[in-house]
Amino acid sequence: MLTLKLALRTLARRSGRMALIGSLVALGTFVVVFGATFASSAAEASRDAIVEHFTGDLIVYSSKAKDLPSPFAFNTPLPRIRDAEAVEAFLRALPGVRAIAPYAQNYGIVQAEREGRKVDLPFVFYAIEPASYAEVFGPIRPSSGSALGGSGGERGLMISEYQNGQYEENYGLRLAPGERVTLLGVTEGGVGAAASTVLGTFAPERYASVFNYINFLDAGSYAELYSFAGVEALPEAFERGLAAAEAGEDAIFGLAGDASLSSLDLGGLVAAPLSGATMIAVRLEGRGRLREVMGAIEGAGAGLEIKAAPWDAASGFYAQISRALQAFIFAATALIFLVVALIFTNTLIINVTERAAEIGTMRALGADRSFVGGLFVAEALALNLASAAVGMLAAGAAILAFAGRGLPLPETVSQFLIGGGPLPLRPAAWPFALGTAVAVLVSILATAYPVRVAASIAPVKAMGDK
Amino acid sequence: MPVVELRKARKEYRLGQTRVEALRGVDLEIERGEFLAVAGPSGSGKSTMLNLVGCIDVPSSGQVLVDGVEVGSLGDRELTRYRREKIGFIFQSFNLIPVLDVYENIEFPLLLKKGFAKKEREALVMRFVEEVGLADRLRNKPGELSGGQRQRVAIARALVSKPLIVLADEPTANLDSETGARIVELMRQINEEEGTTFIFSTHDAHIMGKARRVVRILDGRVEDAGAAPGTGKE
Repeated sequence: MLTLKLALRTLARRSGRMALIGSLVALGTFVVVFGATFASSAAEASRDAIVEHFTGDLIVYSSKAKDLPSPFAFNTPLPRIRDAEAVEAFLRALPGVRAIAPYAQNYGIVQAEREGRKVDLPFVFYAIEPASYAEVFGPIRPSSGSALGGSGGERGLMISEYQNGQYEENYGLRLAPGERVTLLGVTEGGVGAAASTVLGTFAPERYASVFNYINFLDAGSYAELYSFAGVEALPEAFERGLAAAEAGEDAIFGLAGDASLSSLDLGGLVAAPLSGATMIAVRLEGRGRLREVMGAIEGAGAGLEIKAAPWDAASGFYAQISRALQAFIFAATALIFLVVALIFTNTLIINVTERAAEIGTMRALGADRSFVGGLFVAEALALNLASAAVGMLAAGAAILAFAGRGLPLPETVSQFLIGGGPLPLRPAAWPFALGTAVAVLVSILATAYPVRVAASIAPVKAMGDK
Repeated sequence: MPVVELRKARKEYRLGQTRVEALRGVDLEIERGEFLAVAGPSGSGKSTMLNLVGCIDVPSSGQVLVDGVEVGSLGDRELTRYRREKIGFIFQSFNLIPVLDVYENIEFPLLLKKGFAKKEREALVMRFVEEVGLADRLRNKPGELSGGQRQRVAIARALVSKPLIVLADEPTANLDSETGARIVELMRQINEEEGTTFIFSTHDAHIMGKARRVVRILDGRVEDAGAAPGTGKE
């Protein structure tokens, strides 16, 4: 009680200097609480935005792929998933999986005609199954024309408004909804071509810096363009031949007299389109199930020739940007508090020096070292906790203010972080606990040396004030 | 048994590269209840001797015994406890704690000593407040008091815990002569009434005249130990 009384009155007596220190501590605490809330809100919002626009909770892709999936691998697409149908069935049956969306990234040419002249337009695209894509990432809303896979199961392509503007600027034409075009795609055997229709245009609501350059094509047109096709069913005799090949030489020679194998009727084969999907985005029932689902996919991976990457690994540099931002905020906060701690230590040392006679007097009157040390710790704690409380109140008010309407960010930062728009802050208790802990820690660390100096002041210093 | 005994007490300081001998083998005995002045010019070693007797410093060699205990052998914790229980201090510059008022300054040693109930502390503080005539200034801070009033507070603070010895290092040096005389008179009155041993340093001849024994120091040596009352040497 005596220590606290002395501490509080000493702070009041040196109010000017202590107000300066208190302001620094309050500012530092504000930065800790607001910064931690901002960083965690940005991390959460960034995760949500990446999951909802690029990757789902995880991406399943071919085990033959050498690179991780990325939203930007248009020039070096991943290998096709070998048996996409089986993989899709496997994923849909997994507990914890809410929805899946097979898709592929690629690039090609859109050939349009103007006044009898063919114009080749470069075209970067996602090939999607509209219904499953909408389940995972939400529907692509047309700004003109119609959407892919509408009520009539429309096939064709959707062009971004920005891309269309670029076509006009660079090639002098603008694609119009309903326009017939030819798609050209480079395949292993040459150039594939398929007739298609421009269904409509869209303007991305989020990640405009990415989706302005990405267009959408339905998966069927994509398979046609690249000739991803198989047959519905093989002739019965062919099936027997394949079975014999599996069984060994004797079985193969046993078919030697089979007349049905002497001439196969290939005219009866029915073509069936194969999926060209290179990735399957998976949304889970809850993010807590990621490990469980990843484990199940890894277990089945060898048979299905698939592997999985969690959203952050599959997000290209987006998750890294979010983490780098968090690291920067925490580093900046730590730096601010380091400076505050140094200034605080320095001020306390000056205080100790100025109060040498007072401390010596207390020691002469019978105060032991721990009393003197406790006095300075109490001063530091009282000042820092009061200042931290002010900083926290200010931070709390600011967080609440930006929780509803969101914190405006520079557009470039916002685009990379959350796909654009203001960042809604998500109030949480832990940044406040962190602020308190940091204030206490700084008090203890910054006071440790001055307390040692103060406690080592000899009682004979009482005589020094002559 | 003497309450204070110095046996060949020496004290050296280092001032940069220079070694300063503040006390050069002092032998001195002070009896319980004495009202003793240590006199000498500035730098003669008066304050150093008081520091040793007050257990706020230890001798470089020789012995200092306070109430029969050789203080040089005590560690910091024991010395602190010893000061708390045996010694009261009156400083030249009063050395009141600026953030505490008159009452609280006087109460301070009792709070450090512990073991006093609030009522008991109040009774002791009020007794000495009245003794030094400051009952009407209880809630004043040191900055609101005159020099004489501050020194009265310091006297009350030194006496409140009923110490064996009160040490006063030039207690009148920062006071005008009239106030200084009144302060010494007050100290002497308490010495007579309470039987508390008072040891004070001064180089003021008028103040010296109020002491019942004067020990003269020059260049760190006792020139004249005076005579303790009742020893037949006065």
